[in-house]
Order: sequence, then C-alpha cells, then structure tokens
Amino acid sequence: MARSKRKSSFSLRQLLYLLLATLIVSLSVGGLLLSGYVVQLDQEIRTRFAGSRWALPAQVYAAAVDLYPGRQLEPAELRRELDRLGYRHSPALTGPGTYVAGEKRIEVAIRGFRFWDAEQPDLRLAVRFEDRRIAAIDDLEAGAPRDIVRLDPMLIGSIYPQSQAEDRVLVRLEDVPPLLREGLIAVEDRGFYEHFGISIRGIVRAALANLRAGRVVQGASTITQQLVKNFFLTSERDWARKGKEAIMALLLEAHYTKDEILEAYLNEIHLGQEGNRAVHGFGLGSRFYFNKPVDELRAHEIALLVGVVKGSSQYNPRRNPERSQARRDLVLKVFRDAGLIDQDQYLAAVAQPLGLAGGSGGSVARYPAYVDLVKRQLKGQYQDSDLTNEGLRIFTTLDPNAQEVLERDLASGIASLEKDRKLEDQTLQAAGVITSVDGGEVLAMVGGREFRYAGFNRAIDSRRSIGSLVKPFVFLTALSNPDRFNLHTLLEDEPIEVPLSNRKTWAPKNYDRKNHGPQPLYLALAHSYNIPTVRAGLEVGVENVLDTLRAAGYSGDAMPVPSVFLGAVDASPLEVAQMYGTLAANGYQTELSAIRSVTTKEGEPLNRYPIKVRQALPEAPTYLINWGLTQVIEQGTARRARAAVPAGGALAGKTGTTDDLRDSWFAGFGADRVAVVWMGRDDYKPMGFTGSSGALVLWTQIAKDLQLRGLDMLPPADIQDQLTDRFTGLKADEGCTSVVLLPYVRGHAPTAYAPCALAAERTPLDWLREIFE
Amino acid sequence: MNRAGKAKVIGAIGMILVLAGCASTTGTRESSMPDPRPPIGAVIPAPGTPPQPPGQVPVLPPPAMPMPIEPPEPQAPSFPRSASEISGQAVVSLMQSAAQSRAAGRHDLAASQLERAQRIEPRNYFVWSALAGVYLDQRQFDQAISVASKSNSLARGNVYVELENWKIISAARLAQGDSLGALQAQARIDEIQRQLGGG
Repeated sequence: MARSKRKSSFSLRQLLYLLLATLIVSLSVGGLLLSGYVVQLDQEIRTRFAGSRWALPAQVYAAAVDLYPGRQLEPAELRRELDRLGYRHSPALTGPGTYVAGEKRIEVAIRGFRFWDAEQPDLRLAVRFEDRRIAAIDDLEAGAPRDIVRLDPMLIGSIYPQSQAEDRVLVRLEDVPPLLREGLIAVEDRGFYEHFGISIRGIVRAALANLRAGRVVQGASTITQQLVKNFFLTSERDWARKGKEAIMALLLEAHYTKDEILEAYLNEIHLGQEGNRAVHGFGLGSRFYFNKPVDELRAHEIALLVGVVKGSSQYNPRRNPERSQARRDLVLKVFRDAGLIDQDQYLAAVAQPLGLAGGSGGSVARYPAYVDLVKRQLKGQYQDSDLTNEGLRIFTTLDPNAQEVLERDLASGIASLEKDRKLEDQTLQAAGVITSVDGGEVLAMVGGREFRYAGFNRAIDSRRSIGSLVKPFVFLTALSNPDRFNLHTLLEDEPIEVPLSNRKTWAPKNYDRKNHGPQPLYLALAHSYNIPTVRAGLEVGVENVLDTLRAAGYSGDAMPVPSVFLGAVDASPLEVAQMYGTLAANGYQTELSAIRSVTTKEGEPLNRYPIKVRQALPEAPTYLINWGLTQVIEQGTARRARAAVPAGGALAGKTGTTDDLRDSWFAGFGADRVAVVWMGRDDYKPMGFTGSSGALVLWTQIAKDLQLRGLDMLPPADIQDQLTDRFTGLKADEGCTSVVLLPYVRGHAPTAYAPCALAAERTPLDWLREIFE
Repeated sequence: MNRAGKAKVIGAIGMILVLAGCASTTGTRESSMPDPRPPIGAVIPAPGTPPQPPGQVPVLPPPAMPMPIEPPEPQAPSFPRSASEISGQAVVSLMQSAAQSRAAGRHDLAASQLERAQRIEPRNYFVWSALAGVYLDQRQFDQAISVASKSNSLARGNVYVELENWKIISAARLAQGDSLGALQAQARIDEIQRQLGGG
C-alpha cells in the first residue's frame, strides 16, 4: 500500500515536475519565439525606416514665370498669375505667398524655390507698372533694383503608378507651422512627447474626453501607433494585430526620435482621395485642398486638415462641407483650450469659410493631356519606377496662361458652334496645341473638350487628314525652284484629270466647284484653290512634296499619290504644330519639347533638354511661303482672323478642310507662337464645318486672347521686294494702278516692265541698263 | 503656252483682278508692306542697311557658298556691336551670367541661362550666337553650326555678329573634319574682316 501510496505521490510530484518543466520549456520556447518575432519586427521597422520610406511620384512643374522690367504685363495679369499660384492678397506682406496690390504697384513676397540652375531665396519685391509693362522691380530687403526674378513654378501633376496610386509631397518637420505640429498633437495624442509608444494615460484621458463630449473626439491610439498602423499593417482589427501594433510602436520609439516619428506621420497620413489617386501627407494635403505649401496655412486651414485626419472620407471638405466645417470648428476649440490660439484668433478662425481651392486644385492632374505628353517624352529615358518612386522633379515648358486660354476657347468655342448650328450637344470634338516659334517649346495642349479628364489624347493620338494644310508645302516645294516658280507664277484653274496607276483617273475640283481662270500662285494659296495646287504639285512631283513635308516635321508614311497635294496625309495636331513651327522659324526647325530639365527630389540636376536647331527648309522660299500665308489671312480663306492681327503686324496661317467636312483645321502663327486647332467628330462622320467656319473661329479667339505678336516680315538678304503689276506679273512702277509689292528670291524678280509702267516706253535702254547693273 | 494663250491668260487674270479690286480687296495693304517695326525685345537692325541692291556688291562671294548672305558695303557698318545695344536689361544680365558660367566651364548652366534669355527675346541674334559658342565648347558641332547659322539668319547683315558666327562655324567644321567647309567659312571671315578693316 505504502509503496503504492508512495508510488502514487511520487507520480503526482513527477507530474508536477513534468508540468513545471513543460511550462518552463514552453515559456522559454515561447519567449524565444517571441523574441525571434520581435527581432523580426525590429528588422522590418528598421528596413522600412532606413533610406527612402515612400515611393515618391515624380512632380511635374509648369514653366516658371519670369518678371523683368520691360515685360509686357499689366497689374491684373500679375495678380492672376499670383492667384493661380495660391498667393494670398492681403493688406500687408505677412510672409512668402502673400501680396499687396495697388493700382500701379504690386508688392509680393515670393516663395523661395530651388530651380535646377540656381536656388532663389524668399524675396520681397515691389513691382511697378507703367504703360501696361513692368517699369521696375525693387528688392525691398536689399533696397536695390532687380533685373530679373522668377516666380515659383506651379505644380501641375505627379506621375504615380496606375495600380497603387499613392501620391505625396514630402515636408520636413521644420517647414511645418508650429500650430499644425502642436495642434495635431493636441488633437491626436496629447502625451506624444511623454509616452513610449503606447500610452495608458492617453487611453484614460481619451475615454474621459469622449465621455465629456458625449462622442468620440479623441482616439486612444498614440501617433506612433497610428503611424505603425498606416505604415506596416493591414486594416483588419483584431487583438493579435493590436499586439503587433503595440510591439512595433515600442520598437519604433526605441530606434527613432519623437521628431522623426512625427515627421513620418505628417507625411504618411491619408488625407483624401481623387479617383484612384490617394492623397497622403500634409504637404500634398495642403496643395490638394488649398493650393499652397504647408508653411502658408492659416489657423482655420490647419484645423481643417487636422480634422480630416480622423476620417478622410467622412470629413471630406469637398463632399461633406458641413460636417467638415463642424469638425474644423471643434478642432479649433481644442487648439484654443490647449492655449495654441487665443480667444480672438479662435473667433476669427471659426468665422472663416472653408476656403478650398477651386476645382481639385493644387497638384492634381489639372492638365492631363499635357502631363501625358511629358510622360511620353520621358519614356525610354527613365524607367517607370524611377518616375513613380524617386520623387523626381520635372520642369516642363507649360505656360499656364496659354493653357487656360486654349482650354477655355476650345471648350466654349465648340459649344457655341454646336448651338449656332443647332447640332446635338457634345457631338463635336476639338484638340489644340500652342508652341513657341524659336524655342520649340510646347506651351499648351488640349486633347479633347473634357480637358480635365485623362482620356483619348487627340492632340497626339488622333491622326487625321490635314486637307489644305498641306498646300503651303506643295507651293514651298515649287518655290524652291526659283527659275520656274515665284509668288506670281500663273497656275491654270481649269478642270483636270490625273491618270492614276490603277487605270482610273482622278479629277479634283475646287471647294466651290468653280474654276477661276489662271491664278497667281499666292492667290491660289490664299483662296486654297485645289486645281492650281494639283498642277503645281504634279510639276514638282509628289516625292519632292513628301520630302518637304518630312523635312518640316511630318513623320507619317503617306503613299506617294497625287491626292497628297490636297492633304491625303494624316497627322496629329502636335505634328502639324511641328511642321508649321518650322515654317514660322524661317526653316530653322526646333524639335518640339515639353521638358526643360529633370532634377532629383533634392534638386540636383539629372537631365537637361537643350534647344535643338536644324536648318530643315531653305530660308528664302520659306520666307516667300510665309508671306503667302499672311495673305491667307489678309485676303483669303482666313479673313476672319484679321480681327486678331495686331496693328502694324501680320499673322500667317492656313485653313484645312477634308472631304465631306469631316475635319476642320487651322494652323497659324505670329512672331512668337504657333497655334494649331483641329475640330471634328470621333466617329469620322461629317460635321458640317470647313476650316474657315470651324477651327478658324476657335483659332481667332485664341490668337486674340494670347495677344499673338505680329510677324515683322523683315526679308532675309537673298530676298528682294519688287513692285509687280497684278495683271501681267511684270515689273511695275508708279504708272501702274493695280500693283502688289511681292518678295522674290534675289535675282529672280521680273526684270521686264509691264505695259502700264512709265518706264516701259524706254524699255530697250532700261533692259540694257539692267543687264549691266 | 503660246503667245496668244498667254495673252488670253493675262487678260483673264486682268479681269479677275479688276473685279477683285472692285470687291475691295486689300490692294493698299499689299503695296505697303507690314510695318517692319520689330516687337518689343526683338533685335532692331540699323536702318537702311540690309539688303543691298545687287549692283552695289563690291566683291562677289565664292560660288559654292552655303549661306548666300550679301557682304556689306565697304564703309564702316553701323550695326550694333554688342548685345547691350539691342537687348533689355534682363537679357543683358542673363548674358553676363552665361558668360561667367561659360568661363567657369559650366556649359550646361550657360546654355540654360541663354535659353532663358532666348525666351525673353526670341530673335536676339547675340543670344543665339552666344548659344552657338556654348555648343562649340560642348563639342556639339552640328548644333553649333545650326545655331550660328540661325543667328546669321536673324542678324540680317550685322557683320559683327556674323563674324563671330562664321568663326564658330569654321571651328566646328574643322573639328568635324570638314576642312573644305572650314575653309569656306574662313573665306567669309576674311571677307568680313576686310570690310571692317576697310571701314
């Protein structure tokens, strides 16, 4: 018995030992496992926090506006520029991003900016105006005049991946206004600077505060926990995840300072959504909602953003303005109670409206067609991941003013054309491009009437027949042979039949179905007569015309058939801008570009896109054709555009219409800008507008609003002007009544006097004299 | 076309033009060329110099010249000699910065400063000439030649700028191994220098 009793007690003790041993072993194993887990989390945190913490989309900037004495600019225009950049009109300069506007003087505190070539610090300037120009720029701090300054460039978009569209603009803690930093802590985590990552006191205090308010006004998670949650964890809510969050929060605090954690939080937090693009961090949030950098936020704006932290969808100020305002005012109360603002500031702030930037504001893809062009230009030079992850800064050539003119005039123009013709609403489409003549910069681009939405980019991807836009290149090919052609060369306008290779014949007709008798070349161009163009084309050969087109910038592969002479050539508006830009620059082609430079996110230069010039077309014939294109507007199919011609100048351009009125084009230029407009239907159905009645109407408004500068038409050295008798095309003098001053390639002007000329009587002698002169 | 045909054509055109004249086309507008007053910031060539009537050309250029530019008349040409004579202060300031950058070997910076000047005064041939010089420094010879030619085209006979441009073209061609082209450019240089010396 005793033995068995002993035995049984032994076995109990044994069991206890066994249990204890198991417990110890399992605890140690558990501890071992746990510590292994902690080490693993620690590794995860340190990997994630070291180096670059976020994939930073490339930031795309518009061209910076240069201000300099002599620049044609009115005070109202400068104010518009400043407003566009989110500068605030105020009674006194209070800091960067503010301005004081007087009638002939604007004081402005310009935000510093690191351009690729130089850093421009914050500046306080007085800009004085006289006669619609900048008369002087005074540096108010240095007390000295300045020759030239730049405004900070507008952020116009970012390049983020399609799948995971997280967008952000990084801020440094020292750039964040103290009220944002302290206010955020007051609202989200009052014990932030005391706790070790998790806060028992915080939980108690939040519970009390919520109890007092009768609803949830404070969360119990610390800022560190929230950061961990956003940074490392999925959104599921269970105890295991809570535990992991707590461990990671403690680890994060062990490795990093409070300021580092706060800075990461400021950049990580989700503040809004636009389509598939997620707005993260206060840097982008500030631009997204208020179109300005974070350091310029005022109390009520800071309170709004801090309020959004609680729930970016629930408190979305654009969708739920009332709820968002109530939240903002509550946050302002917390600011006041925490002593961050006084009672007066509180009352002033709650009296403010939400003050959101118009539209989607800020760095949102305002100009999708343009940003699309930028992306295409970057393709091949940068990997997609470089563009979406490295925070590159891309400085484009976009001119926001030109872009706004193009958008407004195209959209309202086609809407009113539809109304005038009683067409079904939204059936017409339009696209347009504006470029600089000598620099080859793409200043503006619209890819369709819904220009705010990325979609089919007609300015680049829609290749349509260019119709009569081809004619200048047919005649240019002819004029390159000055022994045979000049601007007054007569071209027959009688019915014509052209044999084709397939045994058929082609019988082109004029647009008005009439024949006008022999036409001087420049009038055939001005009135866009088809038959004289075909005659000239046949004489010079279709291959040569295609060569001219290619030299000008055409990249397609049109078949060498006679219908090329009338524009059976497909091109996009952008390509037409390149071709007409080559004409506008007197044959010196500048390759079109939308980018000036690319830098790293720190501002170190990576790549520059210098001007590339090539003499593509001979200068003298190009001058002649440009003169001819001024006559298209002066007396031809584009007379409507005379309304846009500046006093004492000239504009040049050409209408284009395709069969059955499917495409309506106008391409034209002044001294400094080329503008191309296309109008038509996406389904290729006829829409009832010619180049003159459609695209030209839109173009004329654009030319007026851009204030296109007139061409100076100074003839190059190998061009001579010659008074010419309109009837005979011979040399004229004061004896002739109907004359035209025509440019000729030097040495190829008519030497024989017309019968009307006074000099004609002495003809034999004159002829002799001229031969010897 | 035979003589009778030509006469018929001329007669027909005459009719058209008379009718066109009645319909008040712009005969007067044509006979007075567009006001050649250049836009603000553009280069203003000295009055009355280019182009010369062919009869007054003292020396004909060699026959194979790629750039048919008329040599100036022998007396001292009255063209602007430096950018500051025709440029606004912003452009002058940018050109000075560019010259400093160039001297410091910072070609990219110099080019970007000149491009900025070009955006302000797109047809300032001094700016284009300086840009051609930077391209030469960068050993981008095609660009140097193209840009110098563009400057020549805009200079409308300003021999001082043309001299610089031909020097750039000559050096670039030489560096490219185009010794004949370089010689032709040198001929232009000699020619212009003779003009200037003769003045």
